[in-house]
Amino acid sequence: MELIYVDNNATTRPAPQVFEAIKPYLTDLYFNPSSMYEPARSPAHAITRSRETVAKCIGAGDARQVLFTSCATESNNTALLGTAQANPGRRHVITTVVEHPSVLEVCKELERRGLQVTYLSVDRHGNLDITEFVKALRPDTLLVSIMHANNETGVIFPVEQLSRITKETDPAIIFHTDATQSMGKLPIDLQGDFQHVDLLSFSGHKLHAPKGVGALFIRKGTPCRPWMFGGHQEGGRRAGTENVAFIVGLATALDLAVSRREEDHLYLRSLRDRLESALAEQIPAMQINGQGAPRLPNTLNVACHYIEGESILYRLDEHGICASSGSACTSGSLDPSHVMLAMKVPFTAAHGSVRFSLSRYNTPQHVDRIIQVFPGIVASLRKLSPYWDHENDRPRKDASTLLGQNPGTH
Amino acid sequence: MPWDYSEKTKQLFMDAVQAKPGTHLGEIEDPDGLGEHGSIACGDALRFTFRVRRHPTDPLKDVITEARYLTFGCTSAIAASEALCYIIEEGGFTPVQALGVTNDDIVEFLEGLPDQKIHCSVMGAEALEAAVFDWAKRRGVALDALGVDTHDDEQEEGRIVCNCFSLSEPYIRRKVRELGLKSIPEITAAIKAGGACMSCHHVPGGLQDILDQVWGERAVAPSAHAMVVEALDPSDKRSSQLSPYQFSKKIEQAIAKYVNPILLDDGGSMEIIDIKDTLVYCRLHGACATCVGASKTLKMLVERTLKERVDERIRVISV
Repeated sequence: MELIYVDNNATTRPAPQVFEAIKPYLTDLYFNPSSMYEPARSPAHAITRSRETVAKCIGAGDARQVLFTSCATESNNTALLGTAQANPGRRHVITTVVEHPSVLEVCKELERRGLQVTYLSVDRHGNLDITEFVKALRPDTLLVSIMHANNETGVIFPVEQLSRITKETDPAIIFHTDATQSMGKLPIDLQGDFQHVDLLSFSGHKLHAPKGVGALFIRKGTPCRPWMFGGHQEGGRRAGTENVAFIVGLATALDLAVSRREEDHLYLRSLRDRLESALAEQIPAMQINGQGAPRLPNTLNVACHYIEGESILYRLDEHGICASSGSACTSGSLDPSHVMLAMKVPFTAAHGSVRFSLSRYNTPQHVDRIIQVFPGIVASLRKLSPYWDHENDRPRKDASTLLGQNPGTH
Repeated sequence: MPWDYSEKTKQLFMDAVQAKPGTHLGEIEDPDGLGEHGSIACGDALRFTFRVRRHPTDPLKDVITEARYLTFGCTSAIAASEALCYIIEEGGFTPVQALGVTNDDIVEFLEGLPDQKIHCSVMGAEALEAAVFDWAKRRGVALDALGVDTHDDEQEEGRIVCNCFSLSEPYIRRKVRELGLKSIPEITAAIKAGGACMSCHHVPGGLQDILDQVWGERAVAPSAHAMVVEALDPSDKRSSQLSPYQFSKKIEQAIAKYVNPILLDDGGSMEIIDIKDTLVYCRLHGACATCVGASKTLKMLVERTLKERVDERIRVISV
């Protein structure tokens, strides 16, 4: 059975070119780039070249503004904790309810340390309300941290506009964006549309580089205090011997993604749209989350009413299809995903959300196969559901009053 | 995230999904006992029905012959429902005997369940109990008289401790005792209480207090979070003599009088989103909103007007 991997917002297959590029640094060119002898020049140069490549890909200009880290979670932690440390006079942070936990949980920690955090809401399509954002800006606002594209739904936030409004309000407010999901998929120019962004995070393994490497763009002059000490690496902003091989991998993968972005974009969108319309046609009572908002071309998040996501994934797995779900049962918590809840996806569907996220390595045959099996899986699970009218193949008329609206029947 | 299920659990799930002969998916029409547990809000729900072979004179000698379920839930919830039906049908129980079937029996039948899935087995046991109570009502059997705890009124009279899952204090207390739950994670794993917002963990009368009362020992409470909630003074730096209200009124008037007529000529209008000190946030509507040069035009036009008419420090930000 062929494996059909459609969970690329979780991680991606390393590109063959990336694998080739990093090999020398895991074999003959293993030297510490900080060492003085001649052989160490090669890995040291590789880091310099990689930094320049990354800077070019994101329009950063001066490459010294690019910091290599171990992952996007580290980049996000550095951005939030580092700016809070460096600016004790300001005590207010603005973020959104749908951020990745590596931002949300840091914000909760900042609250425990005495800062105030405003969590912006989203509408049922996943869009932010710009008016709510404007009203949230305060004289003591330290940082705005708003993701570029959402990992669960692919919904894109207008970072260009939000960062401009922020800086026009007060140039001292720091603007951070988590671009982990959009990097390589959407154009990012830190001297162009993104000129008002001070800090930008992303990781390698979402764009066909290995896991264990990420980057943080820090615009020159941004007050951000390091929290890893004990080495001069990365200009003293991130101590620790550089992960040379993976840094090379990150730069190679990003260069590849940017060079074929438009081509990949069209390809992914055509696959996604075909999958989306076929499923929408065949499956009754299914909603497409984020449909009313601008979205990444590779992401499809569907919610099937009256069935549960984990059992869907289990059945997909039987067919060799790897996807993910916002269901409570897949997370170890008992709530469905915070993104589904924030978008007010009804409880009847939030537990049944499934995310398909494609990459350039997916084929039209993969999509065909999903279209072939997914509607049947949904139907078979609905046969088990107490909320389904099996004769007419639709939700029971009393589905909303049956069990559902009264959690107190325990 | 690999699935940590036993072969038995996976087997029951797959059999159920494929509706193999001998599985128990469905609902008995006009059943002798019907019980429900869970809700869609909680992520899983079970509707359990059974039929008995009625004894001509003594309802207590009725024997359960057939059991069916409809389940909304994850792999293990569906497998647990299957397991419940197998146990009940194979046992040849009277309904009162069936009350002796516990969630442990279901877990055993499934050859084990991951900790965070224990609640699936509890759901089965609860639905069974509810179905037996339903049977008793239909058959006119007074379970109370037999010494069965029907804990009828616990939900009605009980104070709700876990708001997320609507679980009352008597219910939680009973489950803590019955299932021998010794910690908050154990409670959450078994009956979900405290599993969502978690605010009931350490509040007065919350889960920890219930544990302490039932087991009579004081667990170490985690250090309280240092929460600083201080209202910030929303900047009173306006040096103009006008109150904030007067200031914004004056801006609105200037825009209505000098700006909107010009925009209207082009089929547009302008909305003030917010005013902070001397910053005025505006949004264009109508034809102007899609015009390429609009935001720059707006900024220049509105800013110049407001500087002249209201306050020279005003800056306009287009939103």
